[in-house]
Amino acid sequence: MNMHSADATTAEEAIAIQETLDSDMATEVAMQDTLLTPRFYTTDFEELDAIDVSGIRDEWDQLIDRMVSDPNKGHFKKNQDWDTVDWDGMEPKLKKEFIDFLISSCTAEFSGCVLYKEMKRRGSNKDITQLFQLMARDEARHAGFINDALREAGVAVNLGFLTQKKKYTYFRPKFIYYATYLSEKIGYARYITIFRHLEENPQYRFHPIFKWFEEWCNDEFAHGEAFALLMKTDPKLTKGINVWWIKFFLTAVYSTMYIRDHQRPAFHQALGVDPDWYAHEVFTKTSKLTQQIFPITLDIDNPRWAAGLDRLRRANVDLAIAKKEGRKLAQFGASVRAGLAFVGLYTIPSKKHKVPSVTRMEPAY
Amino acid sequence: MGFFTRTKEHVPCTVEISHKFESLHAHVRFNNGAVIYPGDEVHVEGPEIMAPFGEIVSEDRNAIIVRASGLERLWTRATGDLEVMELCEFSFSEEVTL
Repeated sequence: MNMHSADATTAEEAIAIQETLDSDMATEVAMQDTLLTPRFYTTDFEELDAIDVSGIRDEWDQLIDRMVSDPNKGHFKKNQDWDTVDWDGMEPKLKKEFIDFLISSCTAEFSGCVLYKEMKRRGSNKDITQLFQLMARDEARHAGFINDALREAGVAVNLGFLTQKKKYTYFRPKFIYYATYLSEKIGYARYITIFRHLEENPQYRFHPIFKWFEEWCNDEFAHGEAFALLMKTDPKLTKGINVWWIKFFLTAVYSTMYIRDHQRPAFHQALGVDPDWYAHEVFTKTSKLTQQIFPITLDIDNPRWAAGLDRLRRANVDLAIAKKEGRKLAQFGASVRAGLAFVGLYTIPSKKHKVPSVTRMEPAY
Repeated sequence: MGFFTRTKEHVPCTVEISHKFESLHAHVRFNNGAVIYPGDEVHVEGPEIMAPFGEIVSEDRNAIIVRASGLERLWTRATGDLEVMELCEFSFSEEVTL
């Protein structure tokens, strides 16, 4: 088993482990180098700073106290459960898709860390800066854990992007709330669904990282709770025209997930998971969870939903082929089809419901 | 800042890169308190900074901030939202085939 300095009980032990690691490093010249490319954003930091959580103080403090107590501290390190991975024996297509999964997950955690840290640094409102600091901590920890799994696979993550020229784009705070809230909650639903499936069917667990999914996704869950509370501070965010934005984000996030999962057949086959079943499971859980703050959910059992997703997926595949072959007209045709399929999904009447007065939830799946 | 013209600022900064198991992160801090606005470009001068695994590297460098013109700033504020889906974390890249 690989020892890790995080496993050490004394400083001397940690140094010894680190020295062994460093000498191992010298043999790693042949490692494949992957440059992480997070994006850089600005937002309306004054608006963020002006958030007043006093109306939801009880729920807020409970959440922050839990995050401060850091129940997952020490969880993200390898222990005896971390089985040896036979990277050389792994089927090449699966290996490619799995490494894509690890790199994309690492980049996502890393980008989250950059964004949250920036929000922390630019703010002066103690409630808000503390929250973003805590979330940045979790994301950096997850990124470190995935990085370690990548190193075992012979992939070295390169953090040299900071010295490259980078342009800062701008997102409105409310879009950050909708997108990040949903991404944290759907992330929870995705990880817990795989975790529970592998609990029942351990023969499909082809890598030990899946054993860590439960605690991992509990962090995602907590981050989602934080964004739900942020939205609760301003009822306008979940009313009127903004309900249309919420519907847009739900449709866009669900359909993007569906398309990307279907592009990774070997990964899902190895896990023993049918992507259609998986998508429906994840959408069902996410819809249930988001009722805590969103006044609508998508009607995922409407026959138009599954048919529309499939149309969108096929248009997307055709678009990629046309792009590769440089056929402009076919590209245009496929884009129109994709656009129409998305409009078809967006116009399915949504389900309305009453939002509960107490927002906070516990992970229960 | 002009409405049509860009300006350049040279700013001292500290780059911190953590390549540790406990935390993988990287940040740039402007030491004079300079603030980035929509559409600005930042370039940290000097060679790539690499932190070996297990280490945190912190270096003082100079950064060039190319301030967006007023027009660019407005444009970025108006159109930046179009890329907001990037914020959604997905476990796979957007590559259709690998």
